[in-house]
Amino acid sequence: MNQQTKRWTFAALAAVTTLNLFPGAGPAGRAFAALTNTQMVDLLKMVDDRQKNNGDWRAQAYLEQKEKDKVDTVYQTEYFRRSSDQKFMILFTAPKSSAGQGYLRIDKNLWFYDPSVGKWERRTERERIGGTNSRRSDFDESRLAEEYDPTDEGEEKLGVYTAQKLKLTGKSGQDLAFPIVHLWVDKESKNILKRQEYALSGRLLRTSYYTKWKKIYSPSKKGDTWYPEEIRFYDEVEKANQTLVLIKAVDPNALPQNLFTKAWLESKSR
Amino acid sequence: MPSQAGSKLFVDLTIAFRNLVQHRRRTLFLGLAIAAVTALLVLLTGLSTGVRETMIDTATTLSTGHVNVGGFYKVTAGQAAPVVTDYKKVLEIAKTAVPEMAFAVQRGRGWAKVVSDTGSMQLGITGIDIKSEPKVAQALQLVSGNLNDLAQPGTMLLFDNQSEKLGVKVGDAITISAPTTRGTNNTIDVRVVAIAHSLGMLSTWNSFIPIESLRALYQLNQGSTGVIQIMLKRKDVDHIPAIAGRLRLALDQAGYRMMEPDPRAFWMKFQSVSREDWTGQKLDVTSWEDEISFMTWTLQALQVLSTVLIVILVAIIIIGIMNTMWIAIRERTREIGTLRAIGMHRREVLWMFLLESIMLGFGATIGGVIAGAAIAAGLNAAHVPVPTGLQFFLMSPHLHLSVHGSLLVQSVLIITLVTAVAAFYPSMKAARLQPVDAMSHFG
Repeated sequence: MNQQTKRWTFAALAAVTTLNLFPGAGPAGRAFAALTNTQMVDLLKMVDDRQKNNGDWRAQAYLEQKEKDKVDTVYQTEYFRRSSDQKFMILFTAPKSSAGQGYLRIDKNLWFYDPSVGKWERRTERERIGGTNSRRSDFDESRLAEEYDPTDEGEEKLGVYTAQKLKLTGKSGQDLAFPIVHLWVDKESKNILKRQEYALSGRLLRTSYYTKWKKIYSPSKKGDTWYPEEIRFYDEVEKANQTLVLIKAVDPNALPQNLFTKAWLESKSR
Repeated sequence: MPSQAGSKLFVDLTIAFRNLVQHRRRTLFLGLAIAAVTALLVLLTGLSTGVRETMIDTATTLSTGHVNVGGFYKVTAGQAAPVVTDYKKVLEIAKTAVPEMAFAVQRGRGWAKVVSDTGSMQLGITGIDIKSEPKVAQALQLVSGNLNDLAQPGTMLLFDNQSEKLGVKVGDAITISAPTTRGTNNTIDVRVVAIAHSLGMLSTWNSFIPIESLRALYQLNQGSTGVIQIMLKRKDVDHIPAIAGRLRLALDQAGYRMMEPDPRAFWMKFQSVSREDWTGQKLDVTSWEDEISFMTWTLQALQVLSTVLIVILVAIIIIGIMNTMWIAIRERTREIGTLRAIGMHRREVLWMFLLESIMLGFGATIGGVIAGAAIAAGLNAAHVPVPTGLQFFLMSPHLHLSVHGSLLVQSVLIITLVTAVAAFYPSMKAARLQPVDAMSHFG
């Protein structure tokens, strides 16, 4: 596979964290002219387009969950998605206690299957995948322009990167994991560097750092598709909890037509 | 003749009054004691009535009408859901059968797991159309948020004890998860738009969401609801059993399958209904007392406590008055002897002493009810906060005493009568004294 890789050696993760602790040190943006709404929407579309695959997608995701007073847990999953009808599926393959569990999104409904009880349950976008700090949308194609209205928050320095900061407010009628998102987009690459997700009450719920981005050639898109190879989620409500997500073995080739079905997911635990 | 009798009564009253004034110290102490007991009686009864009224108001606002048409729908014999299908037809029958109806509302019923970012709890979920229920706004005291926002889909009203436990405030998101009528677990996200002060036991496990959101959670269609709550005109509230019986008969005649009358809250019937071998719809007609039967024991306990206290207070009055009368008679034995010697009849002596007691009792109880009513009004106006544990039973964050005019009149009559009864035996003994013995008495 003609795979060109650009790694973000985010040695500045510590610096980013420091900036997160001292946000006043960062903003320099007010010296710059504010973006118009069209420019902001265009920027979001650009962020979305870079991550779009316009076809099928298969990858492995490792989720390392750290919780206070608990042993760290690593989940191994495989996830699948299809751009045309926004279908999505995650299958847990390890540890043994979670193997066979999975999430299936069809017709904008998210279903959870637990083989130990053999039942399907309908869940919402707020669902914590496998009880970690990740949400389903973290693994899906980016649809920021479609789901949110942006507001300019100026420029900020995140370590060595200059980021455009936007405040995104969820559009009405959208089933979203978070109604308000503060987004830091690298001005140079248009990759997301950081997200802070809030409740409507203004409470900070989660901070996410996108520490490594990779790109892969997509035959369906006939171009490069970018994806975050490493994401770190920090729970801002239960401060000690965090999740590391690593995405590996990406395959953007076509998947079998009957893959996104309840029967397929159930068959994996038989 | 009548004017003579009136004139005599006036003279007797004047003598009784003068006697009371002459022994002003004793009169004052005994009068104060009777007044204090009367005030206490007014306050105790006011508290008991206040709790009862608050309970009815809270219950008929939060969870029940005066009469309810609920029921269960069973897809399979083992799965019962508190659902009334095609409720508009049922409502039409109810309107015809219950002309005493002031208004009726339909609400969704549910029991679900509520999950926030920091906690979770099981809660009763009431689906409500807030625009059609202005009484709810009057009954709830908001801590934060806006009750009108409950008209928007995907919203929720919690009580402060629930929001504390879940660690949420207005604007925070909550996930509600519950099994649908077919047994599949469904989940919806809602936003907290209002937090209300706790209303005691009922608000511990009750919360509100728009009825459309409840239908989305349970996958119900527009024609289905949880219960039709019928509110009666105030004058008809005492005839609930007859009205419920008439409504049950009307629904039965209209072809609906009815559940046997069972004076329990709907959620207490799940197990027995699930065990029964039938499917489809069955309707259940209940009263407000049935729906809160699990908590009327608090009212009964309070009434028993009040009764015991009132009995003790009345006993104190009787003992106090009898004791004081004995002392008075002993002190006034020579006076009685003189009165008898100059021609006063025994029944007139009896009447004189009785009249003194009645006058003292009447005056003191008037003072007592005025003091009791004033204290009750002061406590109500001061919005005295009730400790959290007690709120659970009193169903109000503040102390509320309900003192009606009838209560004041009753208190005056009862205590005055008790005073007269207590004074009767000593007065009779005084009347039986021989004039010679009485006049030679040195005490």
